[in-house]
Amino acid sequence: MNNDDNLKNKFIIAAFLAVLGGFALLNRLVAPPEISMSERRHLATMPAFSAASVSSGRFMKDFENFAADSFVFRDNLRAAHTAFILGVYLQSDKSGLYVGRFGAGKLEKIDETSVRQAAAKILKLASSIDDARLYYSFIPDKNVYAGRYMPGFDVERARLLLGDALAADPRLTYVDVAGALSAADFYRTDLHWSQPRLGGVVSALGAGMGFRGGLEGFTEEPVGLFQGVYSGQLALPLKPDLMSVMTDGPLHNATASYLDPQSQTFVPGDIYDFAAVSGRDPYDVFLKGVQPLIILENPDAPAERELYLFRDSFGSSLAPLLLAAYSKVVLIDLRYIDSRLLAEHAAISPGADVLFLYSSQILNSASVLLAG
Amino acid sequence: MLFSSLTFLYYFLPATLALYFIVPARGSLAPRNLALLAASVVFYAWGEPVYVLLMAGQALAGWFYGLLIERFRGRPALSRAALLASLATGLGGLLFFKYSDFFLSNLATALGTRLPTLGLALPIGISFYTFQILSYTIDLYRGDTRVQRDPLKFSAYVMLFPQLIAGPIVRYADVAESLAARSTTLRGFAEGARRFTQGLAKKVLLANVLGELAGICGGGDENSALMAWLYALAYTLHIYFDFSGYSDMAIGLGRIFGFNFPENFNYPYISRSATEFWRRWHMSLSSWFRDYVYIPLGGNRVRPARQALNISVVWLLTGFWHGAGWNFICWGLYFAALLLVEKFWLGGLLARAPGIIAHAYLLLLVAVGWVIFDAAALEPALGVIGRMFGLGASGLAGAESLYYLRSYMTPLAVGVLGATPLPKALAARAAACRQGKGALAVLEPAAVLVMLVCVTAFLADGSFNPFIYFRF
Repeated sequence: MNNDDNLKNKFIIAAFLAVLGGFALLNRLVAPPEISMSERRHLATMPAFSAASVSSGRFMKDFENFAADSFVFRDNLRAAHTAFILGVYLQSDKSGLYVGRFGAGKLEKIDETSVRQAAAKILKLASSIDDARLYYSFIPDKNVYAGRYMPGFDVERARLLLGDALAADPRLTYVDVAGALSAADFYRTDLHWSQPRLGGVVSALGAGMGFRGGLEGFTEEPVGLFQGVYSGQLALPLKPDLMSVMTDGPLHNATASYLDPQSQTFVPGDIYDFAAVSGRDPYDVFLKGVQPLIILENPDAPAERELYLFRDSFGSSLAPLLLAAYSKVVLIDLRYIDSRLLAEHAAISPGADVLFLYSSQILNSASVLLAG
Repeated sequence: MLFSSLTFLYYFLPATLALYFIVPARGSLAPRNLALLAASVVFYAWGEPVYVLLMAGQALAGWFYGLLIERFRGRPALSRAALLASLATGLGGLLFFKYSDFFLSNLATALGTRLPTLGLALPIGISFYTFQILSYTIDLYRGDTRVQRDPLKFSAYVMLFPQLIAGPIVRYADVAESLAARSTTLRGFAEGARRFTQGLAKKVLLANVLGELAGICGGGDENSALMAWLYALAYTLHIYFDFSGYSDMAIGLGRIFGFNFPENFNYPYISRSATEFWRRWHMSLSSWFRDYVYIPLGGNRVRPARQALNISVVWLLTGFWHGAGWNFICWGLYFAALLLVEKFWLGGLLARAPGIIAHAYLLLLVAVGWVIFDAAALEPALGVIGRMFGLGASGLAGAESLYYLRSYMTPLAVGVLGATPLPKALAARAAACRQGKGALAVLEPAAVLVMLVCVTAFLADGSFNPFIYFRF
């Protein structure tokens, strides 16, 4: 072995031990965070060691999760992984997530079984409602509009599947909002739509449900920069969105009350939770994020008209805009409240409008809906 | 524990290296063997906290039968009985834990009745360590190796964590001397570190990515011919980089600790025939079956009909060794048929055929073989194979398959190139001149560093990370 080889071998060993030893040492010296802000979740903690947890293998499994979650420079390493996949391998997406002309998105195909299941649940709920005007619609994923090469959530197929299944109740009327949307109506870094861009959607709903809709009278108020869920999942420092909310006008005297799961009573609160902008999920600015049941009321509405909105998170940003036409909007999130409890907390008034409005993500995972 | 896990890389391996090199080696290797054995027990118990006792029991049984074989060396009947007891213990454990449910469910089907299955979890690596123990007792019985009287050394051989759960199948004779006397050198450590990192990169940066593509294409809704081909190609490359990457890691770790494990792969996809392929693929397994099954059955020195039978038996067992499923048996018999066709008819033609024809022949048949190997049952495998050739396909290509072809073009190209000796040849050519050698002195350590950081990035992001050969 000559001197060159000797030197090379020393360098190889140094590199090998530097990475292994360096990361091993740093992992013990640096205290891991409890929460990953980019992924919006609590990170795994060191599992408790016991004879039972070791013999069952639970300790080892939990330790693997802890080792991954607590790894030093984890967000930087996640970003490096994404950069490798998209920049070196030139893959079009990373586990379905991609960055395109309209920002980040996620490939999603239609799950026909789940869509049928969602339709069955809507049908069951509709059958329990006597005197009301019933409407349904769905919100396609941003990917549908972003023009990816990959077939995304098939809007026509979803419309057909829902239409076929819901034809069993002729009272259910389809209102199309898909045609009122474009890729630019969604945040660049998140799956949700941007509230100030919902004029077309409100108009489309108004045309289908018989009210005059739009964004007249509202004022757009910027509330801060927003790194959406796709940005966190990709771990890439994408250019943040500017988050704005629509205030004033119809919302001037509007109120919101939220069902408190503990006391089972409605507690008054703000329509916009501005403190959430600097929290784990800034989209929680709209109606405080995860809420089973919310009642919005507008004493200045042009007519006494009620809407019961069966919705997901997209409905949180849409509902305040509907107060221009409705004196009362009740938002029901069946992921967090069973429909059997509705009569107790929010019985549907005779003559009210009922709208079932779900995003493609919920249609594709209908098992989460607690419809009796 | 997986080599390609953060727990192994940043908890287990640094601790084991520190322990191993802190323990004094002057005078006797016993302390270092003990350190390796202790680390190996932790390594195995991490994934199999209960079955570690089974493995320890099998190791001690192998050691004990070895003593008996040696003790009865002058008395053939007793010596043979000890060997048979060793075979019964090793193969009995393998049959019970790996194959009992397969036999019970097939018996129930044959009898048209229902039989309760045992529902036993497969002990990780049981096929590998069983074959290692048997190689010792058989070799000892034949007089091809010397008895190991030290249970610590024998257990360290069986349970040595680098090759414990996925090979290469290291025969006792390969490492007997190293167990008694070995040295860890700067060169050996560097070569081992480089080889380990190379294998880790093959596994995490390439095999996992290609495995993801195979999973997408194998489970997709689109039934086009392109989708079937993409699946076959991705799986063909995935299994090679997955398994050969693991072998590289095992061989590299062995070198770090002063062992020289046998090579397990030698660019199998550049073969020109199935016969040559099996001289290059999982070499430690094919040579095991050759030496312990095929040759004792008579090997090539029998009539053609008997030779055909011997080949069929060996490949039936090879297939069955890979898993308790009909697809593995069919896969083994598929290769038996190919080897027989080549032996008695096609071999000469292939040898004279232009290289491109012979390579295309081999790659096509191997890819078809992997489709059978990876299938849950024969019917879906035949469906995929049919679609590859247009039968039952929805068309030549669809939007989805074209999307994935475009998306995975780079990893596929890297995989195809990496499966050839071209990168190694380029490095060898560079090392042949002075400037190239100087550049490699910087580039190789840099590559080790970059690959380790990239692998860590993939693992820290919790990406797709299965390992195929664990189930064997």
